[in-house]
Amino acid sequence: MSYPNQKGYFGEFGGKFIPETLSFCLKELENSYRKIKKDKSFKKEFKSLLAQYAGRPTPLYYARSLSNYLGMKVYIKREDLLHTGAHKINNALGQALLAKFMGKKRIIAETGAGQHGVATATAATLLGIKCEVYMGQEDMERQKANVFRMRILGAKVIPVKTGSKTLKDACNQAFRDWVTNVSGTYYLLGSAVGPHPYPKIVRDFQTVIGKEAKKQILQAEGKLPDYLVACVGGGSNAIGFFHPFYNQAKVKFIGVEAAGFGLGGLSAASLAKGSPGVFQGSKSYVLQDKNGQIKNAHSIAPGLDYPGVGPEHSFYKAIKRAEYEAVSDKQALEGFNLLSRLEGIIPALEPSHAIYYLKKLAKYGKGKTVILCLSGRGDKDLDIVRKYSK
Amino acid sequence: MKLETKFNQLKKEGRKAFIAYFPFGFPKISYSNDIFLALQNAGVDIIELGFPFSDPLADGPIIQKASVTALEQNISINSFFANIRKIKKEINIPVVVMSYYNPIYKYKVGSFFQQLNKNEIRGTILVDLPLEESANYISAAEKSGIDPIFFITPATSVKRMEKIAKSAKGFIYYVSATGITGPRSLQYKDIKSHIKRIKEISDTPVCVGFGIHNNQQVKKISSISDGVIVGSEIVKFIGQNHKEKNFFKKLENYVRKLKS
Repeated sequence: MSYPNQKGYFGEFGGKFIPETLSFCLKELENSYRKIKKDKSFKKEFKSLLAQYAGRPTPLYYARSLSNYLGMKVYIKREDLLHTGAHKINNALGQALLAKFMGKKRIIAETGAGQHGVATATAATLLGIKCEVYMGQEDMERQKANVFRMRILGAKVIPVKTGSKTLKDACNQAFRDWVTNVSGTYYLLGSAVGPHPYPKIVRDFQTVIGKEAKKQILQAEGKLPDYLVACVGGGSNAIGFFHPFYNQAKVKFIGVEAAGFGLGGLSAASLAKGSPGVFQGSKSYVLQDKNGQIKNAHSIAPGLDYPGVGPEHSFYKAIKRAEYEAVSDKQALEGFNLLSRLEGIIPALEPSHAIYYLKKLAKYGKGKTVILCLSGRGDKDLDIVRKYSK
Repeated sequence: MKLETKFNQLKKEGRKAFIAYFPFGFPKISYSNDIFLALQNAGVDIIELGFPFSDPLADGPIIQKASVTALEQNISINSFFANIRKIKKEINIPVVVMSYYNPIYKYKVGSFFQQLNKNEIRGTILVDLPLEESANYISAAEKSGIDPIFFITPATSVKRMEKIAKSAKGFIYYVSATGITGPRSLQYKDIKSHIKRIKEISDTPVCVGFGIHNNQQVKKISSISDGVIVGSEIVKFIGQNHKEKNFFKKLENYVRKLKS
């Protein structure tokens, strides 16, 4: 059986919980996506953009020093080497092309770390579509360089000053824009969250990660890996990485959430600390209080700083296809330093959570083969790391 | 009073419904019942009592801000019901609840409707629960005799309109234009033609909301529909004037003028 079903459900998670006005937009999106998925010229153009422009396939790198250190065979899927520095470009190019096929004249997006904003601004510029990005004011402070990059690329960055002033509020504001500008605007959602068909569209555009990794590991090792490890905020890099291995039950999936200050305090670990709820368009795990009000999240990694998670991850948790672990701010910084020092690769703070988790995995996974999805590079995080180290 | 009874009564009197929205707990829980009674005294026909949500993605800045304040008062669905129970005997107009789905989902849909029934609340409007996701909600509403109120917007297709009209009870909430709540100018011609289309497929009263913020708009919309819904404008007035002396009397007078 393939997920999601026609109504956009992965088991009991997913769906379309949106104001009536958006029903029209989502239907239009669903129909257009169904059409272009079979369209030869779309497929050709997307493939060529991924190869010529974004830099795919990305290498699957055998990390010798890290492997020696951990006593496991660690391969790294190098999404950090992509144009604009993270896996976000895969989805941004796919959806921007979709927007172009739909004849949309304006693209809007939300961004947390700014990686999705930069990727969207890049894709929109490339395809000649106007772009506006909503970004929480706090994130604009934390990720100044990315704000500047978006502006250089010709995008308008709109500060969001409501609520926690981070990703969740940027997302609300993007929905409000879309509900107002229904016909000419394309909402380019950056993670595998939101109402159907977004979780499916974003996943599909990100599965290139897992498909490549599968081929590459078979070439390198002649067998499938024991573990796939990836960080999970909304969860787009993880789901794109995991999904192509879904039917290979022996390959274990580990999603690593942000425990922030620790699971007892403010965190962004929706699957570990949340409960099922309806938030920003879909039913999934979400951090909420006993009255069903959404809590503010916290993570040192702006891209994980989100109280919700994609419905397909909630489904994987429910059916136990994946395990979800949580790693704190402090531990993530340790992961950040570990990869930098051992491999000469400076990771983004988001996948630094997954890197740290490898240390825990090594305790019972000696000799096993692991692929880590390095979803982005660390250039954007140097200010945060510098401040934290002081 | 049931919504149906109210609309029949209005029809007999040759009047249109004036529906007022305000969020529970804003600016403080202790204000909510007095605000309710001031609106009732002003001659409001139906009260749409909001239960605030942390992420109101269909609301503009006025209601967003009010929601933040209300949530700082640590409101809960239980305190919402406990509060309204205190003035149950004084209420002589229909009350409907407006919220987003998650607080109700968390409370459990079945228990929520039991409470509504117990407290004689007559209808529910859930902003982010479209028809496709409403099967359980509609059957729970039916079981407790409460009207599930649905939205139709300028972006709703005729086919979809027919489906919505079949499930909608009490009244149909027609959204004046695409967008979020808050003051704006209105395209009366468009609104009129949409209402005409809805009327061709349904006998349920059609009330118009979103953007209506002055007396002239109230008059014009009343002339082409079964009622008007005013939210943000009232919330704005509460926000600006609640610290003044005789605030509740001022609110009453203000709303009386708005609806006259």
